[in-house]
Amino acid sequence: MNTMSDPILDIRGLTVTFGGGPKPVRALDGVDLALGRGEVIALLGESGSGKSVTLRSILRLHPPKRSRIEGSIKVEGIDVTSLEGRALESFRGKTVSMVFQEPMLAMDPVYTVGQQITEAVRNHEKISAADARARALEMLTLVRIPSPERRLAAYPHEMSGGMRQRAMIALALASKPHILLADEPTTALDATVQVQILLLLRELQRELGLSMIFVTHDISVAVEVADRIAVMYAGRIVETGTVRDVIRTPRHPYTIGLLSTRAHGGRLEGHRLPAIPGSPPDLANLPPGCAFAPRCAIAADACRASVPEPVDLGGGHRVRCFRTAETVNKVAALAPAVTS
Amino acid sequence: MASDTVMTRAPAAAQATGSEPVRPLLEAADLVKHFPIKSGLLGRSNAVVRAVDGVTFSLYPGETLGIVGESGCGKSTTARVLMNLIKPDSGNVLLNGRAPGTPELSLKAFRSQVQMVFQDSYASLNPRLTVEDSIAYGPTVHGVSGTDAVRRARRLLDRVGLDPRRFAGRYPHELSGGQRQRVNIARALALEPKVIILDEAVSALDKSVEAQVLNLLLDLKEEIGLTYIFISHDLEVVRFIANRVMVMYLGRVAEIGPTDALYTGGRHPYTTALLGSMLSMDPDERTMEAPLAGDPPNPIDPPSGCRFHTRCSFAESVCSAKTPALTVSGTGHFTACHMVDPGSGHSKAAA
Repeated sequence: MNTMSDPILDIRGLTVTFGGGPKPVRALDGVDLALGRGEVIALLGESGSGKSVTLRSILRLHPPKRSRIEGSIKVEGIDVTSLEGRALESFRGKTVSMVFQEPMLAMDPVYTVGQQITEAVRNHEKISAADARARALEMLTLVRIPSPERRLAAYPHEMSGGMRQRAMIALALASKPHILLADEPTTALDATVQVQILLLLRELQRELGLSMIFVTHDISVAVEVADRIAVMYAGRIVETGTVRDVIRTPRHPYTIGLLSTRAHGGRLEGHRLPAIPGSPPDLANLPPGCAFAPRCAIAADACRASVPEPVDLGGGHRVRCFRTAETVNKVAALAPAVTS
Repeated sequence: MASDTVMTRAPAAAQATGSEPVRPLLEAADLVKHFPIKSGLLGRSNAVVRAVDGVTFSLYPGETLGIVGESGCGKSTTARVLMNLIKPDSGNVLLNGRAPGTPELSLKAFRSQVQMVFQDSYASLNPRLTVEDSIAYGPTVHGVSGTDAVRRARRLLDRVGLDPRRFAGRYPHELSGGQRQRVNIARALALEPKVIILDEAVSALDKSVEAQVLNLLLDLKEEIGLTYIFISHDLEVVRFIANRVMVMYLGRVAEIGPTDALYTGGRHPYTTALLGSMLSMDPDERTMEAPLAGDPPNPIDPPSGCRFHTRCSFAESVCSAKTPALTVSGTGHFTACHMVDPGSGHSKAAA
């Protein structure tokens, strides 16, 4: 996993500001993220934390007129922010592809699944219709859709939620991308189907050697698929590290809070969940210092005055917090209770 | 008479530690609700969604009954039928033994005692009323004077953790999701109900806010002596908040029992599979195999017999032929599975 010397995706100082409203909204503020070849990173955060904005920035999906993007995004050494025209079209889908939360919205309702995959393939490769169709069939087989020949002729609405998400994954992988971006791909699915899709993505990632960024609000989903976790809060990455480091020895007060806040196991009479007070900040009115400071139990004056820079704790575990000396012993008390 | 059968079927009131059987507060007896699907020019209906198909259970005073199941299992339809928001095709709902909409319990009186909180905190508030007016609306309809209703609204806002001086005059769009859901809870409390039905009430909230609202619900329950029906797809949250849990599958009750018994020793293969889909939170104990293949079948044309037999690894011929009845499988624990029913003919059932 030590591929950081040559990351396939390298984001530096990414700042995204959306205009259009009464006040500009700074959705991302100085995001640094490096994805190694064959690595899976989970971007974890609540609504408005900037995880989806980060994904969309990589594919350049933000409307250029209403968004200002600063910083650099490099994929396989190519500067994504300057791509135009054909180069951008080829980049989208062939180099980097994306799976969305709601396949019903992401797919075209008036074309069959087979037609959509075939079209995607022929957009990127000069191959015959028959070959493209063969590829589509191969893709549906790859994502373990039962009776794939029949499913090629199915419209998205004729499929169940789980099958549709499999078809969406087939569509995203049809042009053989190197990087797969997944935006909450299992959030809309039922529990028993979510597990199936997570296992599928994990297997495909390994089989195809994909590099992957997986956006989720659910820590347990991140633990299932990721090598590393990056926790986002109010447009900044506040903690990154291996899954084990972040889950077992979280050092940012927000991560610690999120982990202890989870309902886990049964409840003793009178027991309450430890809860983070307050609510996530308004991105148009961010405080000058650490955005989490108003909700943080150990915030000091320094936290309210300036934004902390990442502190390296070793092993790639980095935390944007002035108070890491205070969080070091919080861990034992916070480890999720073992329930059998 | 329906109430009697319910009583004998579920005598183990949640935490009834005493010997006397506790009278159920709310009872659902054999509820059925089918939705016809209209198609074609003349709007003929040629198929029905069997959303709720024979659901019977009791809710005991002071407990929290969790209802879990996947989309299409009928948990929300059950809630709406209980609330009398939609009329069941057959079966009945009883509050303290009385049916709502009858001379002995008017619908208005029923609704003042049973209230509901929905998932979408924004859609369930009138965007043109301040939150104070929204909360005071119910009491005024029920004959409380305007000033008293406003006073009550302010007291409730304070109780759910929203300072009335800051929040009373705000409109729903000026609040965050968590704050709006607190307003919805305050509004549900305004008529001083006995039962609150929470239909995915915390599902749309961020995790850090969800914990606050769950704690609030627990506090209110203890202080006011409320009884909850807590519907959620989040199995962790249900385990945390519920005393008893009912598992639904395609319009029927698969299993109902005390939370711990169900989570540690579920007897229905669907319960086991559903709970087996919970993720471990342990990077060294990742899920290696999905407990079930495929999606839940369509409730339009559900499988015969036990509706789970198409996905069940223990299915035998009896499972597609005969519908299993809820059978005692432990203290206050009932399971609708032929394997639990002695003499059902299933090879795994005790003869």
